[in-house]
Amino acid sequence: MVADTEIADVRAIKRELAKARRRGWARFMRRLAAHGSFKIGFALFLMIVMLALCANFVAPYDPNKSDYRSILMPPSLDHWFGTDGFGRDIFSRVIHGTRVSLGIGLAVVVATGVLGIFFGLLAGYVRWLDNLLMRIMDGLMAFPGVLLAIALAAALGPSALNAVIALTITFTPRTARVVRSSVLVVRELPYVEAALAVGAGHGRIIFRYILANSLSPLIVQLTFVFAVSILAEAILSFLGVGPPPPAPSLGNIIAEGRNYLQDAGWIALFPGLAIAAAVLGLNLMGDGLRDVTDPRMRSEREAG
Amino acid sequence: MIYFLLRRLASALPVLFVVSLVSFVIIAIVPGDVTAEIAGSDSTEIQRAEIRERLGLDRPLHEQALRWYGRLLQGDLGQSFLLNRPVTEAVLERLPVTLSLAGLALVLAIVLGVLLGILAATKHGTWLDQGSMSLALFGLSIPDFWFALVLISVFAVGLGWFPSGGYVPASENFWGWAKSMTLPALALAITQMGVIARMTRSAMLEVMSQDYIRTAKAKGMVRRTVIFKHALRNALIPIITVIGVMTGVLLGGAVVIESVFSLPGVGRLIIGAIQRRDYPIIQGGLLITAAVFVFVNIMVDLAYGWLDPRVRHGR
Amino acid sequence: MQRTFSRRKLFGALFGAVTIISVDVSVANAQTAGGNLIVAQSSNPPSLDAMVTTSQASRNITMNIYETLYGFSEDIRPIPILAEDVEISQDGLTYRFLLRQGVMFHNGKEMTAEDVKASLDRYKQHGGTGTMLEPVKSIEVTGDYEVTLTFDEPSPTFLEAFASPRAPAVIIPAEEAAKEPNEIEFIGTGPYKFVEYVPDSHVTLERFEDYTPNENFEGIDGFGGRKTAYLDTVTFRVIPEPGAAVAALETGEIQMLEQIPVPTARRLASNENIKLYENMPWAFLTFVFNMKEAPSDNPKFREAVQVALNNEEVMGIATEGLFQLYHGWMYEGSPYDAGDIGQEYYNIADSERAKQLLAEAGYNNEPFSILTDSNIPEHGKAAIVIAEQLQAVGINATVNQVDWPTALNIRLQDSGWNGWTLMMGIEPYLGPVALISTLTGDQPHFRATDDQLDQLYEELISTDSEEGRKEVFARIQQRLYEFFGVVKLGETGLMQATRANVEGFKPFRFPRVYDVWLAE
Repeated sequence: MVADTEIADVRAIKRELAKARRRGWARFMRRLAAHGSFKIGFALFLMIVMLALCANFVAPYDPNKSDYRSILMPPSLDHWFGTDGFGRDIFSRVIHGTRVSLGIGLAVVVATGVLGIFFGLLAGYVRWLDNLLMRIMDGLMAFPGVLLAIALAAALGPSALNAVIALTITFTPRTARVVRSSVLVVRELPYVEAALAVGAGHGRIIFRYILANSLSPLIVQLTFVFAVSILAEAILSFLGVGPPPPAPSLGNIIAEGRNYLQDAGWIALFPGLAIAAAVLGLNLMGDGLRDVTDPRMRSEREAG
Repeated sequence: MIYFLLRRLASALPVLFVVSLVSFVIIAIVPGDVTAEIAGSDSTEIQRAEIRERLGLDRPLHEQALRWYGRLLQGDLGQSFLLNRPVTEAVLERLPVTLSLAGLALVLAIVLGVLLGILAATKHGTWLDQGSMSLALFGLSIPDFWFALVLISVFAVGLGWFPSGGYVPASENFWGWAKSMTLPALALAITQMGVIARMTRSAMLEVMSQDYIRTAKAKGMVRRTVIFKHALRNALIPIITVIGVMTGVLLGGAVVIESVFSLPGVGRLIIGAIQRRDYPIIQGGLLITAAVFVFVNIMVDLAYGWLDPRVRHGR
Repeated sequence: MQRTFSRRKLFGALFGAVTIISVDVSVANAQTAGGNLIVAQSSNPPSLDAMVTTSQASRNITMNIYETLYGFSEDIRPIPILAEDVEISQDGLTYRFLLRQGVMFHNGKEMTAEDVKASLDRYKQHGGTGTMLEPVKSIEVTGDYEVTLTFDEPSPTFLEAFASPRAPAVIIPAEEAAKEPNEIEFIGTGPYKFVEYVPDSHVTLERFEDYTPNENFEGIDGFGGRKTAYLDTVTFRVIPEPGAAVAALETGEIQMLEQIPVPTARRLASNENIKLYENMPWAFLTFVFNMKEAPSDNPKFREAVQVALNNEEVMGIATEGLFQLYHGWMYEGSPYDAGDIGQEYYNIADSERAKQLLAEAGYNNEPFSILTDSNIPEHGKAAIVIAEQLQAVGINATVNQVDWPTALNIRLQDSGWNGWTLMMGIEPYLGPVALISTLTGDQPHFRATDDQLDQLYEELISTDSEEGRKEVFARIQQRLYEFFGVVKLGETGLMQATRANVEGFKPFRFPRVYDVWLAE
């Protein structure tokens, strides 16, 4: 009898939650759409993504076709961004390179997201694993900044896949921490305790409640991981441990252009600006997402 | 406080153990070894085998690892394969370069970032606010090594104000040191300057909207006093919390900046060691760098606890 | 013919009327002592223990610190440096080296036969080209200033090998020679002595006041001659970023740049504060096949690659315009130049013939993996252009760019690679024996041995007249263009630069900082 009323209660709670989620989702989108810098960032990033996706149609030249007769040409009507030491068209290379760099960034985001959720949930949910997992994560985070990624990429050898692996290993601990801390908060919430009390399956609890509620800080985190990955790819390529030539990435175009800074500065200039634009777009989007999802930050904005 | 410090130091040990394990993983996956570097690219297999035996590289990795840990317990990080000197000495000699680069960058980032943040917050809603925040955002979005290349082009080659690279120890020539470190530190600081400017601005805005500031203003206190005495002091606390993380980002970023400005720092030592397969330097370099980073974080925690009464009493 | 065409077209046009300072022995300005010279190079010397390393970055510095008994002259003949002379017995089995007397080491002690024996013994054990002393049965001290080497059988090319600067057989004090590789104090007999080495930063040398000049010569000659140190100190700074190094030269922070990018040289040609030096020819750029891995195990396939290549394009891009095209496996006009042999296969870019050869080879789109590295820009660039050209004739070519140690590791395997881009700097300079020895024996560059080539090499080293060796080398070149184990892509140059006030500098195999001074 008692159990029946409890179940009824839980159902009611769930209905309410579902409604709240729908309402919340709609409000979330509305807020986002009204957020100025999110809109700018989204538009900027969308434009870059579209250029990258349509690289084959947009790029006027084959990005890997060397042309011995037009080496190191300054920007002109024929070559908007000039040519490099192989006589290749920088504009075409930047567009194709953006595709590679965004691809690497996206792969890191997906891999980091999946692994971050997995380890974060594991640590937050399975208490006896928490300590061990977090010590390992702490160990990985004890390598300052991108040093771990550089060391791993240097050891694995230069390739796009290895860059993704190195960056994923570097950023997963941070993502896992974000997931873990929201799991720790969420699992103490009354309705989750209630669901636990009535013996709802762990899988259900994890996916219906915990994951759903951990999602927003995770998305914010992953937006920044995306931005940092694009910057980090450039660093890896610059140090010669990123995706190798001839296929262009924004980082390896800069790396090739470093030798011509004074003599053909355009080679390094344009991919640098492309990185800045993509990262700027992502940062603006991340700001918007954080403002909209994080109540504390929102209050600060409203205060301002 | 002592108890807290000891507990934090003890908790750093497993962290550093994981770091050392990762360094073995790196050694295990890196192809090739140091022998071609020592004996030359056309050396014979017999010559190379001899060198391997002399360096103990012919043993299985777990055996090498056990020996390494055995020596580590005696405080010995071993001997570099290529530099003909102890690892500790080689790394410690490089540490001042990296630390002064990261330290100077941190100072620049905080000073410039806080100034930019104050400007934005006090001129809230004006073009100055937008301008400062755009600058901060731009700093956050550009690759720092690329910015370094731009700085070299403009300030070293174009205007000739600063050297394009190289390191002058501060003990030999302070002015020379300051000149040689300005561009690298600026390049490294640009990203974190953006972070700090944005944090300062939002913290200032939050504090300035709170009652006691309003009261202070209402009481007719001079605006500047209000800003600097009350608002800023409270706004600085969250900045201290991020100094730990920021030090990590700066130490990591220093690797690339060291390479652009040809500074003999730890980052370049480690990257060079990976590229030349100098295993003891890889292990020792990573371990010492991580230890420095962990130590800075403990210090930051201590400082934070000391500065923020809430945290102090909370503990 | 091809050579002048390409050079004029590319390089001459780029520099226009600007004169490149050529090797000019008679300098009018008076030498002045004193001053500090800063030389920049792009990588760390892996070691300053000169005899154990073959690295150019080391040689650049060590050859100013140490000296050998014999070394090459400007025109690549062995000349005595620390030796007074050598007496070779009639049967060619004993070499009696007479040493110069009164030569001081940097530690203030005089060089004696004991030091020489100890150094050569150490070379035999740890030397970078250790095989060089293998035919030597014994090294004996036969007087205070006399060392005698005895052989089991005559080895007519020994003195050339012994004089080689590849991993120079330098003479160091006996007590240092007793130490393991890289554990010595850097003490030599050269005009500059070692002060300090800060890896990733610099190596500092200072003038050796008690240097004993070689009175048998008028001035410097190759690695030897009469050397004079004018500068107080010389600092070799390690600047990995070419852009930063050029910036340092332009601002006058450094006075000498060991290698300057060609496009930069083009821009600086009109800068009156800077002198440019063209060191040409500097090296062969080659493309080595793995003859043990399909599809490059098939000679027909390799021939297809040879005829498919447009060497001019590969070289033009890989060297940024500073190159010569020549099919010969010795420099044109050098004593061993074998003339037109093989010319019909060189730089023909004949895609029809290549496709036909591929069909004959039964090539069926198997992957052709080109191994290259990121450390030496010419390697990586050449690989990319070669891959592109091979794709154009229907070869499934891919580029595998790794770092240098990894590349060295992979190319020692029988599988995992098909082609490898390699600059041979010192070997073609040293002559046919040094060059062909890399293509024969147990570990030839192209993995599988070619029996005919091995026989020809044996014949080459046992022929005692130069005329005879020239004839053998012509047959070697013939053979190289029959089985196509390696493609000669072309010859590269080295662009160097100094500030205008640096006087007396003559480009050579290493930057000689003696007999260089700073004008007021």
